[in-house]
Amino acid sequence: MFGGLRSLFRKKRVEKELDDELRGFLDMAAEEKMKHGMSRKEALRSVRLDHGSLEVSREVVRTAGWESFVETCWQDLRFAVRILRKSPGFTSVAILTLALGIGANTAIFSLVNGVLLRPLPYRNPNRLTMVWEKSRDGSLENVGYATYLDWKSKNKSFEEIAIYSSWQPVLQVGEPEQFSGLRVTSNYFRTLGIHPEIGRDFLPEEDVPNANKVVMLSHSLWQRKFNSDPNIIGKTINMNATQYMVTGVLPATYQSLMNQDPRGGTVEIWRVLGYDVSQPWACRTCHHLVAIGRLRDGVAITQANAEMNTISAALSKAYPKEYDDAGVVLTPIRDQLLGPASEPLYILLGAVFFVLLVTCANLANLLLSRATNREREVAVRTALGATRGRIIRQLLAENCVLGLLGAAVGLVPAYWTPKVLAGIGAADLPRLDQVHLDWRVLSFTVGVALLTGIAAGLAPVYRLSKTDMHDSLKEGLRGSGSVASRRLRGLLIVSEVALSLTLLIGAGLLLRSLSRLLVVSPGFDPTNVLSMQTSVLGQRFNDNAVVRQYFADAVERLSALPGVQSAAAASQIPLAGNMDKYGFHVEGKMHANPEEDPSAERYCITPGFLETMRIPLLRGRDISAADTATAPQVLLIGESTGRRMWPGEDPIGKRVKLGGVDNPWWTVVGVTGDVHHVGLDADPDMQMYIPHQQWPFPDGLMVFVIRAASTPAAISSAAQQAIHTIDATQPISRIMPLESYVGLSVQGRKFALILIGAFATTALALSLVGIYGVTAYSVAQRTHEIGIRIALGAQRGELLGLLLRQGMLLVVCGVIAGVIASLALTRFLASMLFDVQPTDLLTFASVVLLLVAVSAAACFLPARRAMRVDPMVALRYE
Amino acid sequence: MPEKPGDLVQGTLDMLILKTLALQPMHGYGVAVRLEQMSKGVFRLNAGSLFVAFQRLQRAGLIKNEWKATENSRRAKYYALTDQGRKRLNTETREWGKQVAAIARILEAS
Repeated sequence: MFGGLRSLFRKKRVEKELDDELRGFLDMAAEEKMKHGMSRKEALRSVRLDHGSLEVSREVVRTAGWESFVETCWQDLRFAVRILRKSPGFTSVAILTLALGIGANTAIFSLVNGVLLRPLPYRNPNRLTMVWEKSRDGSLENVGYATYLDWKSKNKSFEEIAIYSSWQPVLQVGEPEQFSGLRVTSNYFRTLGIHPEIGRDFLPEEDVPNANKVVMLSHSLWQRKFNSDPNIIGKTINMNATQYMVTGVLPATYQSLMNQDPRGGTVEIWRVLGYDVSQPWACRTCHHLVAIGRLRDGVAITQANAEMNTISAALSKAYPKEYDDAGVVLTPIRDQLLGPASEPLYILLGAVFFVLLVTCANLANLLLSRATNREREVAVRTALGATRGRIIRQLLAENCVLGLLGAAVGLVPAYWTPKVLAGIGAADLPRLDQVHLDWRVLSFTVGVALLTGIAAGLAPVYRLSKTDMHDSLKEGLRGSGSVASRRLRGLLIVSEVALSLTLLIGAGLLLRSLSRLLVVSPGFDPTNVLSMQTSVLGQRFNDNAVVRQYFADAVERLSALPGVQSAAAASQIPLAGNMDKYGFHVEGKMHANPEEDPSAERYCITPGFLETMRIPLLRGRDISAADTATAPQVLLIGESTGRRMWPGEDPIGKRVKLGGVDNPWWTVVGVTGDVHHVGLDADPDMQMYIPHQQWPFPDGLMVFVIRAASTPAAISSAAQQAIHTIDATQPISRIMPLESYVGLSVQGRKFALILIGAFATTALALSLVGIYGVTAYSVAQRTHEIGIRIALGAQRGELLGLLLRQGMLLVVCGVIAGVIASLALTRFLASMLFDVQPTDLLTFASVVLLLVAVSAAACFLPARRAMRVDPMVALRYE
Repeated sequence: MPEKPGDLVQGTLDMLILKTLALQPMHGYGVAVRLEQMSKGVFRLNAGSLFVAFQRLQRAGLIKNEWKATENSRRAKYYALTDQGRKRLNTETREWGKQVAAIARILEAS
């Protein structure tokens, strides 16, 4: 090994030594012969005969070690580069083709790598699972604190179970700013396996009511708001008019994944939960906490699930009215955090792999036509003694060089992937910040480049290595083996067309879905409506009347602004990613177990909300300023709610209890149109609107909606000022036109459509180049024949048909294969489609038509050139 | 007469070189002459094959080399056995003896 390395790196010296030694050997042998009376010349000749010449021996010794293999490979590479530089046209086309395919693949792989493949930022993440209560309809539910305590004390499967709930504190450092935070049990970070970078973890004695209020900061928050103060630990910070003591700062490598709502921002601050069972919000039906557990070593997830189901069954038995007894569901944390993103990403990876295949086929085609021109070169080299293996190696080296150059060019766009993707709306992909070129992506790229180069080169290399020396050396005998070659090129075109068609159909289906989705009305009119969120904080807001008055005042000031048509506030707005469901118990239709009653989305609104949002009032009356805290309690319901709860009856005047059977009655006074709350692609569920003045605990976090006469941006700053004139200490966040929320809800689909559309276009363009190339080539080959036909009086139309037929036959075969492949593959897209079948006839037909039309054009161009052939020129060609 | 050592039983050349060097360190030509003499002209070696064998043995750590002056005051590379080479020679010699005896028995039996 060492000797080999020495001869590689100190080549000159080793070679000189060998030469000296060999020359010494031969000289000694010659001297010996001269002693026996030979002349020097005779002696040297005799020695050469006996022992071989210096040159031959040197070659023999040099090629014996492994290093010579490395060296000839190096030679091959250098030779390949020289050859490629000699035909810059071919080389640049090949490199660009490869760069397209490899670049697209690298980009998508870097996305998959960053989002899915990189390990999650927890210790042993595969032992972490989410723990959900399962409701009777199979949906997953958060857990109440009392249930959590029972789970925690009774189970033997988990090392730890922790819970958290979301928290939006307002930090009063500089401008009041609202953050995304979590309230967590003291064992939360221990469960995840995260240690603070500075400071300490939460203590169990801090996790009780009325204990010291303590928080942990994310690394980024610590840097941004506290200038990385090394003495931050033990200091207090003021949030929501309360003092919190900082106990720790988390490491920069830890980024919370618990809040993936792009509208909510990353979690940056954590405080202890501080519950105890005596609190009213710690009840078993208070499903507002999310549980996460770390399985003990050796406990399988199914085992743990079985145990949790047993515990849950015992709890249902003990408290029959508080559970709807469907058990417990464990989801591995990976599925929870990355599951929704993984399917679209793998679909993209599959789609982009198709592009790579098309690239490969296209390059193979290019190489095949080049191969015809290189037959003589190969024949000459064979005649000079190159072995077949050596020629194959040389040709493959050329392809590898091409592949690597293509990869190098392709990496440039791939480097910008994350920014571009964020730009076209991948923001709801988790961990997008983790997407960059790392060693995994780079090795993927190099691997793909070499494989592509070699795969594309196999056919032409095979073809060339079988070149018949005698035929090829003879001038004028061209393309002797071209029947096989033509067939191969035809096959490549067929597969390119089939692959492109499949991608085009995929893109077509997504396009149809999106266009169908975009005409779905959200149930309100988002144009020219500005939304902004605020929450009240401070001692003075402990009085409910003050909160109600504050929002009433704010709405009044906003409505009075110039350029504002109307304004209102609501506890949540549709399509904003919120969820706030309350049990809906209808008089006379309640289940024995109230947990089995349905629930409805609750919007706590100020008068004017329907008008501002342009949600139609279908029956009855809207709520008004007269529905005060002391007036009879009234509510509006959505159309679906009415139809579901009172089929065939008039809901006006009916009574319901909300959130629990011990609460007072509310009377339905109006029915509104449904709004899409979750997304345009989800059917509207049950909804209800409650006057903010009447809800017993008036919401402190409200969203203002302001309808402007023109664009929402025009009134944005005036609206913020109006709110600050009432109370300058209140934070305003999420200042966004309502249209952005609607846009966000279709963003994921747009993202998939843009990417798959881009892939399909690339593949189509490459295929067209291929079709054009094949037709052009065959026209060139048949110039002579065409000349004869013209001379003999063939009509140009007939000739055109003849040439077109050949190309179009390939296209038709490709289309048939592509349609079959699409029928088999589009069902994987089903989850991304909306209101369109995976086998949608219209999409299939239009894509096939499009493809055939452009392919015909690609055939027609070179064929038309053949029509201009001058028979005299063509015949003289011989 | 076998022209290439490949015609020798595989691996025999290495063993013969080791045996030759066991007596004293020698340069390449010395080894060639010695082998030719000892075999009474049966093994006449190509310089190429001989030096490939040297390179192989050296990389296996069985021989080492040193530039020295010859008796005719010419500079030459002298090869010598290493301890490992000496051990290898012993085992190969034993192995060879066994094999030859076995082959002889088989040939005589028929």
